[in-house]
Formats: sequence, structure tokens, C-alpha cells
Amino acid sequence: MDAVSARASASTIRLNKVKTFFSKPHNVILLLMGIVLTVSTVAPIVAIVEDTFKIHPGTIDQHLTGMASGYTFANYVDLFTSRLAKTNLWTPLLNTVLLAVGTCVVSILYGGVFAFLVTRTNMAWRKYLSSIFIFPYIMPQWTLAVVWQHLFNSNAVTGTSNGLLAATLGLAMPKWWCQGMFPSVMVLGLHYAPFAYILIGGIFRNMDANLEEAATILDTPKWRTMCKITLPMVKPAILSTILLVFGSSMGSYPVPHYLGLTTLSTKYVSMNSKYTGEASILAIIMMVFGVAIMLLNQLSLTSRKSYTTVTGKSGQISKISLGKRGRYIIALVLVFLTFFTSIFPIVSFGFETFLPNPGDYSFLYTGNTANLTTKWWLTSENVTENGMYGQKGMLYNSTIWNAFKGTMMVSVCCALLAGSIGTLIGYAVSKQRRSKWANYVNSVAFLPYLMPSIAVGVAFFILFSNQYMNLFNTYTLLIIVGTIKYIPFASRSALNSMLQLSGEIEEAAIIQDIPWIKRMTRIIIPIQKSSIISGYLLPFMTCLRELSLFMLLCTQGFILSTTLDYFDEMGLYAFSSGINLILIVTILVCNALVNKITGASLDKGIGG
Amino acid sequence: MKKVLAMVLALTMMLVMAIPAFADGGSSVQDIIAEAEGMTLEELAQKAIEESNGATFYGVGNSSRGATALPLFIEYLQSIDPDYNMEFDWQQPKNNKIFDQLTADSLKDTGTFAMTLIQDGNQIESKMVQTGVLDTFIPKDWADANGTTAADYAGYLPLQTLNKVFMYNNTGDKTYDNVWDFVAEGEHGLFMDIDSEIVGKNFLYMLTEDSNADNLKAAFDALSADEQAYFQPVVDSLVTDAEDLGLGENGAYALAWIKLWVESYNAQTDDGPICNTLVDQSATDQFGLLVYSKLRSVEESDSVSKNNITVAAYQDGYTGFGGYGYCHYLFVTDNSPLPWTACAFIAYMTCTTDGFSAWGKDIGGYSSNPTVAADNEEIFHHQTGGMAEDGETVEFAALNDAGYDWWTNEGQLVLEDPEYCASVSFTVGSWIEMLTKYSAG
Repeated sequence: MDAVSARASASTIRLNKVKTFFSKPHNVILLLMGIVLTVSTVAPIVAIVEDTFKIHPGTIDQHLTGMASGYTFANYVDLFTSRLAKTNLWTPLLNTVLLAVGTCVVSILYGGVFAFLVTRTNMAWRKYLSSIFIFPYIMPQWTLAVVWQHLFNSNAVTGTSNGLLAATLGLAMPKWWCQGMFPSVMVLGLHYAPFAYILIGGIFRNMDANLEEAATILDTPKWRTMCKITLPMVKPAILSTILLVFGSSMGSYPVPHYLGLTTLSTKYVSMNSKYTGEASILAIIMMVFGVAIMLLNQLSLTSRKSYTTVTGKSGQISKISLGKRGRYIIALVLVFLTFFTSIFPIVSFGFETFLPNPGDYSFLYTGNTANLTTKWWLTSENVTENGMYGQKGMLYNSTIWNAFKGTMMVSVCCALLAGSIGTLIGYAVSKQRRSKWANYVNSVAFLPYLMPSIAVGVAFFILFSNQYMNLFNTYTLLIIVGTIKYIPFASRSALNSMLQLSGEIEEAAIIQDIPWIKRMTRIIIPIQKSSIISGYLLPFMTCLRELSLFMLLCTQGFILSTTLDYFDEMGLYAFSSGINLILIVTILVCNALVNKITGASLDKGIGG
Repeated sequence: MKKVLAMVLALTMMLVMAIPAFADGGSSVQDIIAEAEGMTLEELAQKAIEESNGATFYGVGNSSRGATALPLFIEYLQSIDPDYNMEFDWQQPKNNKIFDQLTADSLKDTGTFAMTLIQDGNQIESKMVQTGVLDTFIPKDWADANGTTAADYAGYLPLQTLNKVFMYNNTGDKTYDNVWDFVAEGEHGLFMDIDSEIVGKNFLYMLTEDSNADNLKAAFDALSADEQAYFQPVVDSLVTDAEDLGLGENGAYALAWIKLWVESYNAQTDDGPICNTLVDQSATDQFGLLVYSKLRSVEESDSVSKNNITVAAYQDGYTGFGGYGYCHYLFVTDNSPLPWTACAFIAYMTCTTDGFSAWGKDIGGYSSNPTVAADNEEIFHHQTGGMAEDGETVEFAALNDAGYDWWTNEGQLVLEDPEYCASVSFTVGSWIEMLTKYSAG
């Protein structure tokens, strides 16, 4: 009798425990998301690992093994030990690491100094500069590379058309300036500098100036104050920037492609036809870097000292005076710099759409208006005779507008899905901060972001190209991949905002027996709506101009970024510039609308 | 009982005999192709109407013009049956994805794509044909026009041959009158990277084929002693490599040209930017190897002109090959959902001028059907496309396309042979990959 009742009570306790567990919505969310995210992250990795062992007909592994199907180690042996190892692996790997490190350095230096000047000094025109600084992030990253080429290429040095400087001033920049590592680092660094600005600026803005003032009172030299107080305070933001920028720049395909730098991404694309399995190994190497960065970040989180920036004692921020002239001189320098990174590209894109031939700057040095045209916009017939390459003008070009619709659909769906899933994850993790499972879910949700985009694209292409499911060139595939890749935007944003919320607020509602849905929609989300909307806004805007992630998953007219890339590669710069303008206007309008309606904006997110 | 047993045994024997017969007979698509090869276009059109009315036709190709040809094909079918209608979707993947896409689609019992228009004979041979992903269909009308039959014809069905030719900016004094001039010291021709567009790599493979290597040797012999002195050490250093690679007696000349080319060309993303560069007056003495048809889209301005260009092979006394040719091939997928319609569409493109019109407007693209090619020339007058309206004044010399026959004979166009390319892909191909490419940066 005792044994039976003991068993019964034990099972009742277990049942009750299970019931209690599932009665809490955050537990259900964590369990579901943990399973879904594990599958969605691990399955593509398994698929790509399998691909490295598989024999692909017509490629090197078939040649080496003499078999048309089956599995082999030949791809690994050949990639690491053949005479081509330096060309196919080591040089691209070294370039990739240098590119990623260089991009981190440039973005942190430029973005960090800019953040310091905007938040901690009395520099003039701070509001204007702050808004204009994030423009390079809004634009597709390779468009800056194309602008770089249009500016600095010259017939004398690069053997191509004269760029603007050569055509108008006869100035030919050196080779290292025009192509290779330097311009790639600069372009990506400028593209990602807004990350550093947003993250480091956030800390500078909230930093308690008492510490620095104390150092000043103790007559500490300024450099020592900077090294011992200011920099350690912004160290977490610098680490976060590295975390975000390293993986992103590593997986960038278009920038090194346009600027003639061989990286793992460009090598993947060029090797894929003949060395398919070996190319998949390159994708895995890029993924390993992503995982390593995540582990390093975890390590730094556990060992990191606490650098509290917001305290209850003082909210005062002292602004450093740059002097009456200094505040204008420095501002002018930044206006000049941001003109070339933000305004000039837009002007250049606009001008390009009125040139008779791509890169034909005759008008600039002849002043003859006959050297301008509106054909790229207004041609309504499909003609080849007047240099339209069989395309209609942009206003009538169904390829461009269908791609625009496709892009909008993918972006909206990704934003809604990633934003909602990320918000739920952020909420659930904040409720179970000390649970290992919650930390696991948080990490696995963030992992796809740290993996280079091109590698994630490759993995999903392989996963969904089989006899059971062939999703190539479908919006479904783009939405799945985009959602998984962009969940971290929303989960990080939501987690940070949820952690600021005191548990008492929700507990009060629980005591009142208010259902979870109502608690979320009436209390939690309204309180943190600004951050949560940022979690929707960032996936939307990033998705609008994403190329590396989608380029292997669809054909060129499917979405706007692949169409833009297609026209850029074809040398039809009028079309690519026009599409760029369409993208920029769309993003600015959306950002302004959301900002007007909700108060949220791009610079409140984490970047991406 | 004995009768039952006898019947069972007889049935078993029939099955045993039938299975290998079925296995040897190939797929149902191949059966349809075999039947379709005996039909005229009109008969195929009737079959297509029965098969695809109200259906959606999926095609994939390296040329976006498939999307232009399909509506014309539908109009043609509607001229036979006004009630006929068909939706279509034409995809043009980039970055070599067409092969992955077709391979993935081939894994299904019934595929998505009905047919393909595809380039790069090397990969077609090794990845698509040897693996049974694609089937060749030879239309009867096309075979008749070429004086052959489907049974006798060996090879794939080309829609057209496209040529990439050497052109140079003529605003300076420099001339290029021998193919070896393009790899002389200090030269950096503009060319699409061979890793971006694999047909460029196939062109280099083809140079090692005996007749092309012989042509290179002949061009070498036509050089002055000084010029020969520059190239000779390179040739001599590659004699052993040529032997190791199993090349013919002039193989070292081919390898020397390839080595000098790969180590000197200035890689570009596409032929478009190359053309944009060359037609500008600032590109003095620059040259490139690019698709001939790009010239048609250049608009005259104060600094840009088609007259800034000279097509190297058109010069009197030019020696050596003037460029290379590659084909757009047409195939039916082995698991095609609409095989009759695919065959009819292929026959329409290769056997009628309307079907070829999507490509016919361009210079430098030649229909594989001599009748269609002649009709196309009648309509578009490509051979005199650079003349002024009076028909006598040369307005743009570079636009006067000399035509397929001229290019393949006098122009010594290096033509792609898929089987040869596939056979040397991992011998000559690996040798090429060992070379250090030129980098402008």
C-alpha cells in the first residue's frame, strides 16, 4: 500500500512539475525555440559537412577517386596538401582574416572617434552628422566599392575606364589604393563604422563623467585617463563591435569581388564548379571562425570585469570643449568625410543614370548637354540599338519592379518572423537568465549571425536541394534563411530591453490573473515598444539590401539586390545606380515612417 | 495445375526478358525524343498543344532571351490552335548555379524544368550528359537543313555560336597584327576572369588541341626575329610540360601563349565593363577579348565612339586566331514534365527565324541552322551593319560582322569542343590553375 501510494505520489509530483513547467509561457517558448533553432542551425551544417565528403560528378573528387558517386576524404586531402593548397586555401584564408581584422580596426577607430566627438564634445552640427553617418550602412556594401572604382580607377593604372578623378583632374591613384586589400578594408570599414558608432556612442552617452573628473582632479595625464578609464568603459562596446563586424566582413562576397581581393568567399564561388566539395570545406572554415568568435565572446563575458555605465549616483555628462574654432574645424572635416561616404555616392548614383554610356563623363569636361540622356529611365520599348542592352528604362522595367516587389515581400516576412521570434526569445531568456537551457537558446539563436552570410547561404542551398525538397529560387527559402539569420537582431534587442524591466510589473498582472497574451500585448510590449520595433526594423532594412546571403539561393531578377549586382557586373551602372537610389529612398522613407509613428529608429538597434 | 505452372513460368520468362529490355530502353523522355526526332515542327506543335495547354512551362538557361523566345513560341502555337495557352517561367541562374539547379531537379521523378539552354560544353559533358541529367533532341527540320539525320549526327544541339573577339582602342598608334602581340611584354588585355566564366577556360583548353596549337605555331613563325626572341625561351621552358600533358608537337606553343595570357590579362567582372572601357577615347592602346555583340549597345558621345575600336582580325595581314567561339546548347531534361512541348520549343528556336529572333538582332551570334542564319542575315544585314544609310559609306567599320563562315575560316575562331575540354580538364586545367594570375591591384 505504501509502495503503491509512494509511486503514485511520485508520478503525481512529476506530472505536477511538468504541468507547472508548461504553465509558464517562457518555458514553452524556450523549449520550442531550442528545438526549432537547433534543427534550423544544425541541419544545414550537417548538410554542408556531408557535402565535403560526397563525390560530385565532373569535379576533382571524381577525377581523384575514379568514382562517380559515394563518399571520400579526397576533397580534404587535395585542398590541404595539393600544389594548389596555397592558391585555393592559405592565401584566401590569410586575406580573409586580414580583411576581417582590418575592417574591425577601421570601423572601431572611425566609428569610435566619431561617437566620442558627437557624444562627449561640443562639436558643431552634431545632429546632422549623427544622421548622415549611418548612410553607408543603409546602402548595399558593394555600392561603396563601385563608387570607389568610379572615383579612383584610371586607364593608366588599373587599365580600365578613367574614373572621376582621372577624367576630370588627370589624377591617377596608385594600384594599392585602387584594388586589393586596402580599398576592401576601407569600404567595409566605412560600411560597418555605424555599428561602432551606435554601440560605443551608446556607452559614451550614458557614461558617468565623475570617474574622468576624479582623474582630472588627481592631475592624471589625459592619455592615461583615456587608457585607464575611458577605453575600459567602452571595452564591452568594442568587443560587441568586433563580434558583429568580424563575421560579417569575413563573409562579404561583393566587396572583395569588385575590388579584386581573393578571400574565402570569392574563392568559394570560383572553385564551386570544378572543386565543389573543396569549396564546401571553405564554407565550413568560415563557419568555424563564426563559432570560434562566439566562444571567445562567451569567454570574455565570463571573465569580463563589470563596467557599469549607468549608476544611480550621477547622470551628468561633461562635454569636452573643442574651442571656438576647433568645434567648427573638426565638424567641417567630418562633414567633408561624410560627404564622400554618404552624400557623394547618392549624387554619383543619380548622375550615373543620366550618362549616355556607363562611366562616360563627357558632359563634365565638355559641358555639352547632348552628353546626357534620360533613356535609362524613360525608354518604354525593348530595344538594343540605343545602348539599352535589350532592357526597358527603369520606370518601365518589369524585371526591376518585380524584383522590388519580391524584395519587399521577403523583407516584410523576414522582419515579421525574425522580429516576433526574436522578441519571444528575448522575453523567455530574460525570464530564465540563469538557466543553462536559456543560455543555450540565446547562443544558438545568435550563432547564424556570426557565421559568414555566404556560408549560411551555401549550407541552406545544399540542405534544400534534394529529391524531396527543392526550394532554390523560391521566396520560401529566402524567408526561411533570412529569418534564421536575422533573429539575433530582435532577440538581442528584446533581451536587452526585457532585462531593464522589473519582474514586479508582470507579477502584478499575474496576481490579477491576466492571461499571458494580454500581459505581453498590453504591458510588456507597449513599455519596450521602441526597442522591440527596432528588432523588426533592422531585419527589414538589412534584408532589403542583402546580397551575400541570398546570391546563391535565387536567380538574378528574383530580388532587388541580386538584380542590382547583375547590372553592376554587366557594367550597366545606370540601372544599378537607379536601383540603389530606389533602395536608399525606400529605407529612408520606412525609417522615417516608423520613427514618426513609433519613435523607434535604425540607430537604436544593434546593427547587422 | 501443369497449365497454371506453365503460364507462371511463361510469364516469369517474359518478365525476365522484358526487364533488361526496359532498362536498356532508357527513360520515357528518351522514348519521346526518339519519336519526336522523326517529326516536323508542325507535328511537334500539335503534340505540344495536346500536352501543355493550360500548363506552366519552366525553363532555365544561361541566356535571358529564353524569356523573349517563349512568348513567340506560344503565339506560334496559338496560330495553330487559338484556344491554346501556356504560362511560363524562365530562370537565369548566376555563378554556375545552373548545373547545381539541374542536378538537384534531376533527383525528382518528374522535374520542374522542361528544358534548358546552356553553355560550357566541358561541364555539360561531365556533369549533365555523362550523368544522364540532360538528353539531346535533334529536330528533323534542323537535321535536314544541315544535311544530316538525328541518327547520324553526333554531338549536342547548338542554338547558336557566339564569338568573343580581340578588339583594341585605336585612338593611339599601336596596332595588333599577330595573336602573339596580345601576350607581348607589358600587355594586359581586358578579359572576363576564367573562374567567373568557364567558357573562357575552355577556350584555353582548346588552344592545346593540335590544329589550334599548329595555328599558334604558324603565327609565331610570322613574327619578326626580335619578337620571336622574346617568346622563344617561354616556349622552350614548356616543352617538357607539353610532353607530360600528352600534347601534340606544337603543344609547347599553346602552353606558352596560355601562360603569358593568364599571367597578363586584367580580369573584369563582365564583357560590359570591358566594352565600356575600350570605346572611350581615354583607353588609348588598350585591348580586350570580349563578346562581339557588346559593340551594338554603345552610344556615340564626345568621348565614346564605336569608331574608337578596331576588330583585330579584320585588319589586312592579321595573323593567328581572332577570338574564340562557344555554343548555347539546347537540351531536354531527362525527367522533363513537358517533353513534347520542350521538343517543339527547341525545334521552333532552331528551325524558324521567328524562333531565333530573340538572338538574331545581335552581331556575333550565328544560328546553327544555315537556313535560319541566311534568313536572319536577310532581315538584319549584320554584314553591312556598320554602313551608313546610303549603303556605301562606312560609318562604323567594327559593326560590319563578317559572318560565321569568315570567322571560322579566315578569322580562325577557336571553337569549343566539349569532349576535348572534358578530357583535358584535369590535366591542362590543373596546369593552368598553377599559373599566377595577373593582378592590377
